[in-house]
Amino acid sequence: MSMVVANGLTHRFGRELALDGVDLVLDTGEHMAVLGDNGAGKTTLLRILATALRPTSGRLEIAGLDAFRERRRLRHYIGYVAHSPGLYPALSATENLEFFCDLQDVSRSRVAEALEALGLASVAHRRASLLSRGMQQRLAVARAILHEPRLLIFDEPDASLDADATEVLGQVMKGRTAVIATHDHALANRLCPRTLVLRHGRSLGTATHLRVVR
Amino acid sequence: MNPFRAAIAVARKDLLSEWRTREMVPALAQFVVLALLIGNFGFQIDSRSAPSIAPGILWLALVFAGLIAFGRTFAAEREQSSLEAMLMTPASPVAIFAGKALAASALLILCEVVLLPALSLFFGTPFSAELVIAVLLATIGMASLGCLFAAVVARVRARELLLPLLVLPLWIPFIVAGGQAVQSAMGLPGSYDQAIGLLVDFDILFVVLTSLAARFVLDE
Amino acid sequence: MNRLEKAAAGAVALMLIAAAAIFFYAPTDYLQGPVQRIFYLHVSSAIAAFGCFAVVLAGGIVYLRNESPRADRYARAGALVGVVFTTVTLVMGMLWARKVWGAFWVWDARLTSTLVLLIIYAGYLLVRRLSEAGRQTARIAAVVGIFGFIDVPVVYFSVDWWATHHPGPVITSDALPPQMLATFLFTMLCTLVLAAVMVVIRYRIEMLMDMKQLIASGAPLTVAIPRRDPEPAQ
Repeated sequence: MSMVVANGLTHRFGRELALDGVDLVLDTGEHMAVLGDNGAGKTTLLRILATALRPTSGRLEIAGLDAFRERRRLRHYIGYVAHSPGLYPALSATENLEFFCDLQDVSRSRVAEALEALGLASVAHRRASLLSRGMQQRLAVARAILHEPRLLIFDEPDASLDADATEVLGQVMKGRTAVIATHDHALANRLCPRTLVLRHGRSLGTATHLRVVR
Repeated sequence: MNPFRAAIAVARKDLLSEWRTREMVPALAQFVVLALLIGNFGFQIDSRSAPSIAPGILWLALVFAGLIAFGRTFAAEREQSSLEAMLMTPASPVAIFAGKALAASALLILCEVVLLPALSLFFGTPFSAELVIAVLLATIGMASLGCLFAAVVARVRARELLLPLLVLPLWIPFIVAGGQAVQSAMGLPGSYDQAIGLLVDFDILFVVLTSLAARFVLDE
Repeated sequence: MNRLEKAAAGAVALMLIAAAAIFFYAPTDYLQGPVQRIFYLHVSSAIAAFGCFAVVLAGGIVYLRNESPRADRYARAGALVGVVFTTVTLVMGMLWARKVWGAFWVWDARLTSTLVLLIIYAGYLLVRRLSEAGRQTARIAAVVGIFGFIDVPVVYFSVDWWATHHPGPVITSDALPPQMLATFLFTMLCTLVLAAVMVVIRYRIEMLMDMKQLIASGAPLTVAIPRRDPEPAQ
């Protein structure tokens, strides 16, 4: 069964054509990396897949539902980590997650589990502003899995994740469909059997275990 | 999900953040005291002229403190890019908006706790329940409009420039009715009851309208 | 001459006829003298401005419902033309006030609320200038336009709600002699035609600007032709 079916996703920011007719099918449980230079449209594609952004044109189905008509319902299925962690600096790691438990309408007992899963249990009561960049990124990942989403969307998680974080990410992605945007070809190959390459908003095709030649 | 629970969660989160950092309330309090000081230098105030000048200074201080308080609420979420994370949850944008507005009005009320007694202290004007009620009623409507337009301009380049331009004209009804209520609470002629009735009407009108509009402003 | 140019020429001709009616047909006011002739265009342009802001309101509501770019363009056009007519109303009113009240400005409910109206819609135009054109800005502007319209009934009813210097409606109160009434109704009609023509022309300009932007972004102008490269096999 397909988790994501996208047809001709196009997005325009004012004058800028950020995404130009991208088609994509992602099976349930499949992991895919999105590669591309800065400005290639990776973030735009991911935000559209996360239903955070409505494309100028094109169709998108997630878990068999129209992504824009059933947006609110789909939010229960999607866990999205944006490029910047988007935490509240004055609140502790636990308080950040508890707040999102309330918004997600899940039990606060999930907080401890999520912190444990990302190896943050020891800093649970530290303020987010005092966490390292890598830990903040992990906390953002923890926030995205509070509601046990089926589809994970990570925008450049490698930008500030530390070495053993790749393993943690792999753990988190297990059993879920995942899309990761990244610069890091090695990371892409390790975590995702499949790769999509974007250039100037267009898909240059997808491949399995792509050997990218510079 | 229950929108009230979401709104309360958002408001609590904002107030907890403020409690941890204690940035806004001290800054606002200092700001209004400075405004009173400037009012004192700008006008020749004696016991006879005070009741006719003090209401004007009160509203000027309150309006600009409000602009700062409401402008901050969404600007901070934008800078931390936490607004998107919040909007990515199933919670309704209207509930999120209501929570932010609730927290921002709580901060403004804290600033009024400093402003109103200081006004009476410096200008010798009467401090009464009527005065407090009028200011609180105006705060409700001003907060709903202020937060809506703070959310509106949060996406725009020149947000500090635009917020006053958009919000001040729409706050005028509250300043007209609130001004009249405060004046009569300070012993000037004018019907207090009529002004309060008007304030309540405006509150209901603008709270309903802003809730309806919040969906369009916050979505995406 | 294309259709818009003809319409523009027609509207200007109508306004000239209205001017002739104001100066040569309408009788001179017994009390105020010739300055009362300001009345015809002053009130007409106020009504035209209300009409323009109603276009902004309607455009905003339609845009929020179905994101029609046409509705948004009408709103943009209405706001600009409305600001022009509000300015005309205020300036003419101030000239008249100088003569009959002895001051250009008094803080009266109608004058104040009209000034607020001008500020609100000038703010609307500023929002459009200060943020990138696109869906987001159009939605924001729609909200501003809808809230701004609240002031229109306030301006209209201000003379009933508060004690004002500004006189109330003279048309409905039967206070005008028939020649003055006829002149006023004719001027109002011409002004409304002028406003409508200006909105339509501005709409056209906004459309051309949208198209220019679309071309600059490299988008295909005809949607029917697919430009997408075929997806390579996996």
